[in-house]
Amino acid sequence: MGEGLTVEQFFELWDLFRDAALTGAIAGALLGLLGVYVVLRRMVFLSAAVSQAAGCGVALAFYARLHLGATGLLADPTLGAAALTLIAVALIVRGGRQTPAARDGLLGVIWLLGAAGTLAIGTRIVQDLADIDALLFGTAVAVVPEDVTLVAATAAIIGALHLWAHRGFAAVSFDPDGARVRGLPARALDWTLFATLAIAVSVCTRVIGALPTFAFSVLPALAAVRLAPNVPRALILATILGALCGFGGYLLASLYDLPVGAAQTLLGVAVAASAVPIAWLLDRR
Amino acid sequence: MTLLRAHSLRVGYAGRAILPPLDLAVDAGRSWALVGRNGSGKTTAMRTVLGLLPPIAGLVERAPGLRVGYVPQRATVDASVPGRVLDVVRAGLDHGWSFLDPRVPLRGRRAIRDALEATDALDLRRQPFARLSEGQKQRVLIARSLVAQPALMVLDEPTSALDPVSEDAIFTLLDRLRRERGLALIIASHQLSYVPRFATHAVLVDREHDLALAGTAAEILAAPAFHARYGAAAAALAAPTAQAADAREPADG
Repeated sequence: MGEGLTVEQFFELWDLFRDAALTGAIAGALLGLLGVYVVLRRMVFLSAAVSQAAGCGVALAFYARLHLGATGLLADPTLGAAALTLIAVALIVRGGRQTPAARDGLLGVIWLLGAAGTLAIGTRIVQDLADIDALLFGTAVAVVPEDVTLVAATAAIIGALHLWAHRGFAAVSFDPDGARVRGLPARALDWTLFATLAIAVSVCTRVIGALPTFAFSVLPALAAVRLAPNVPRALILATILGALCGFGGYLLASLYDLPVGAAQTLLGVAVAASAVPIAWLLDRR
Repeated sequence: MTLLRAHSLRVGYAGRAILPPLDLAVDAGRSWALVGRNGSGKTTAMRTVLGLLPPIAGLVERAPGLRVGYVPQRATVDASVPGRVLDVVRAGLDHGWSFLDPRVPLRGRRAIRDALEATDALDLRRQPFARLSEGQKQRVLIARSLVAQPALMVLDEPTSALDPVSEDAIFTLLDRLRRERGLALIIASHQLSYVPRFATHAVLVDREHDLALAGTAAEILAAPAFHARYGAAAAALAAPTAQAADAREPADG
């Protein structure tokens, strides 16, 4: 562990760190919110597979720019991530109608394709290897003001949609047959939920990296569903915990000179683990 | 008033029917028992009537604007989803696109209280659903279905894994709701004991022998096909009782 900053130094240099710290917090909040559905619908591996696919999409965009002479949208890493994410989600949603074993197998294939594809393409874009590392594990250096705007706009739109329609998303997630019998547009709600997850994962993977994206979409929600008395409060708590993990992880990375994504992930693990004794204490009251 | 009518309905999977054509008409205030042994096709028939599975052939016709309440098997309700009884019941308020209206939960407070009172679950409202007994959970799931004020309620094995006392309490509750509210019921169950006491009509299904028989409860209980399938269990069933005869008269006639 190298020499890091003090807390005072971190806030003295706030202008330098603001974009990355805010991006981590917003991404953590957005993915924390969506993570409640990921965890309660037992789709944890879906998030891992989709973030890997998104990473592969970013690598493909770099490759297209460097070796195929692509320009504009075709070389845009965010669109590359979004394209592969949407393909992965579409495959998973269709596969989900089969047996759980088939869906698990499909998730495994997508994860492996994403991971192996990113590594394979990475060897062809050596001059941009640092970018690929940043993509996979998260870094502070890569965050620019446009990224803050992108993540904030994505979070605002998806967050507003989920605030508005959360009862519908909960109904199709936790009582799908009942929702269909009561005439809710179950298929449209399911697709919208997966689409928002896909967009959030692809944008966040592009900006903060695959590792913290996966971590934020699982760990805050794990803690929240243990501690909250119901789903709406779990959604709120997971959003707050996700933001704390995003910002706190960045702060820890600065203090202890750690990779940002790793620090955010480890803080998320600590939050999820601490929920177990807290829930136990709350139960005894 | 007929709420739901099945015309030559054939149910099954992947384009293959598993039961012969079924005709039935569910009127308000009637209680239909959907009986058959395990694997007989009860769940497939019930899911098709609910619209969760497409018919292989035939038609399910619903009264315009019919609200249907569905009570799934308790085992399908995920205990890891956090929620108090109040939250579980509130989740039943939405129908159609009403989930987009933020006023629905506030407007539904009276309906939630009524549903909890009707199912004797009001005192449980603050308790986590996952910690209730099986009988209490069943009452809460019935309350969740009631809160949207359905005219027809469909229940899938509502008394599975319940002790005989709890089982009787659930059927008594359903019968009271039927009589007081004119609610129509379709109850899929492998239990037979409730049929003579609480059912006005019954459907006997047997996938193995390609049988789907619908009629009044008395007709089905007397049918040779019923006795052939249930043997001593059928013989041990009482004839429809006086209590059941009373119960067969719905509140709204």
